[in-house]
Amino acid sequence: MKSSADDAKRQARLFQLKRYGTGLAFMLPWIVGFCLFVAIPIGWSIFMSFNQVKVVPGGFKYDWQGFRNFRDAFLKDNVFPIELITYFQEMLLMVPIIVIFALLIALMLNQRFPGRFLYRALFFLPVIFATGQVLSELFVQGAGDIPFLDQYNLEPLVTQYVGGEFAKTVMGVLGRVVLILWYSGVQILIFIAGFQTISPTIYEAVRIDGASPWDSFWKITLPACVPFISLNVLYTIIDLFTFPLNPVLKHIKDNMFKVETGYGYSSALAWIYFGFVFVLIALVLWLFDRSMKTRRVRS
Amino acid sequence: MIRRLRTIPPFQYVLVTAFTLLAAFMSLPIVFILNHAFKPQNELFLFPPRFFVQHPTARNFESLFLHAANATVPFTRYLFNSLVVAGLTLASVIVVSTMAAYVLAKYNFHFKQLILATITLSLMFAPETVSIPRYLIISGLHLNDTYFGHILPALASPVAVFMLVGFISQIPGELVEAARIDGASHFGIFVRMVLPLSVPAIATISIFTFQGVWGDVETSTLFMQDETMRTLAFYVNSLLSGLQNSVSGQNMAAAAGLLMFVPNLIIFLLFQRKVLETMIHSGIK
Repeated sequence: MKSSADDAKRQARLFQLKRYGTGLAFMLPWIVGFCLFVAIPIGWSIFMSFNQVKVVPGGFKYDWQGFRNFRDAFLKDNVFPIELITYFQEMLLMVPIIVIFALLIALMLNQRFPGRFLYRALFFLPVIFATGQVLSELFVQGAGDIPFLDQYNLEPLVTQYVGGEFAKTVMGVLGRVVLILWYSGVQILIFIAGFQTISPTIYEAVRIDGASPWDSFWKITLPACVPFISLNVLYTIIDLFTFPLNPVLKHIKDNMFKVETGYGYSSALAWIYFGFVFVLIALVLWLFDRSMKTRRVRS
Repeated sequence: MIRRLRTIPPFQYVLVTAFTLLAAFMSLPIVFILNHAFKPQNELFLFPPRFFVQHPTARNFESLFLHAANATVPFTRYLFNSLVVAGLTLASVIVVSTMAAYVLAKYNFHFKQLILATITLSLMFAPETVSIPRYLIISGLHLNDTYFGHILPALASPVAVFMLVGFISQIPGELVEAARIDGASHFGIFVRMVLPLSVPAIATISIFTFQGVWGDVETSTLFMQDETMRTLAFYVNSLLSGLQNSVSGQNMAAAAGLLMFVPNLIIFLLFQRKVLETMIHSGIK
């Protein structure tokens, strides 16, 4: 009796192990690639950020510096902290604008009207530009600006309403309205996919119960979309953070090939930047997690 | 037809008009790129700049191809490299990421939570900052001047896995269980069920991956020392940066801009139907 129970247990363990094994086998190619080209380089760059890296014939020479690179970034560098703060202010304004804009557009695109396939395609098209050459050439041509900012001299007006410190940020965001439009393609797509997960029968039910479209948006669509909103917020933050024309990243890259600062210092800058964004993302995740939990408790 | 039009409520008229305006605004850059590439030299420098081309000409493309033909490496070689690299990367990223995402979404195994956390973390890390350690690894593995040097760094894409995990976990677990009871192997389930069901997500990541690979100059700049192994993106990039202030090359730059953009558009048009269609008609919630 006992032995058969043991047997069953062993068999269960064997089964479990086999399942684990399959899982790991499927993961293996990805894990190997990831370790080689993502995990190890990232670890390496942590190590480098604590060193002064010098290029000598036949390789690199590392001089252990402790936290000096990190200290220098804030105390000696007179560009990095300012750029970091300005960019973060801009991001904090841009992210909600992009997400709300995408939500509105997606809501409208979700309506039934003739030719909506075409419109959906058109709104996603700008994402194609978002990579590399084409975008930067458009910027060189000045296609990213909108002329009315200068024409109507909006800057004093903005300064008057939001105060001197934020005026620059607000103007920066206004100047990038076109970019916001272009950058919301993926978010719109995610929202549209999200709307498909809400079953139409719910809408029918509330319509029979006498709810207006306005009510059904606030009571059904929006709560059901919370996970997609959080996904979009994360996506937008990451998208802006790794944006190729981002001034902070440019500063980091410039430092990488300077002789007196070198790769160690630029790694340290990158890690500071990474730390800031990580805190921001953790905050966003925590907020959404909490709101989901309270919703679950209430329902 | 008229009766159909009459049944459309007035709200939809407003909607369609608003969308047409917005869409027209969004498509401006496409129109601009298209027109710019066909402008003759004298129109490129008109001030104020014109949006539409007056006398379209194919001279720009001609001079681009001729310029490349005179160089040591013919233009077609860059094109061939780009096609090979983009095709192979796309295929391998799809296979590797779907496999990984499938087990992450549907199986339990050691370190699963750790792997998921690392994926989310590494999403935030800008690839530029790890380029030098990557170079050291590539040259350590002797992958310089091979196609592997182009493909392998892009292989383990955290973004692709991140998106696929979200999608595949929506496939009902009962469906997978049922297939297992009916005697399907792990691999069979993956090929026959998970792959077809996740076509929309795969289409989406294909668009992203293709754009990333097609426009990537990093692998060509850092890992390839042999000019014959470099890609079209690198060629166009070096052409553009060499011409920054010169007047004579602007027409080539305009043509090259269109050339870099068109494949993206084609891939997008190919996959976009799939993305939108399957998103709506997919039987699973």
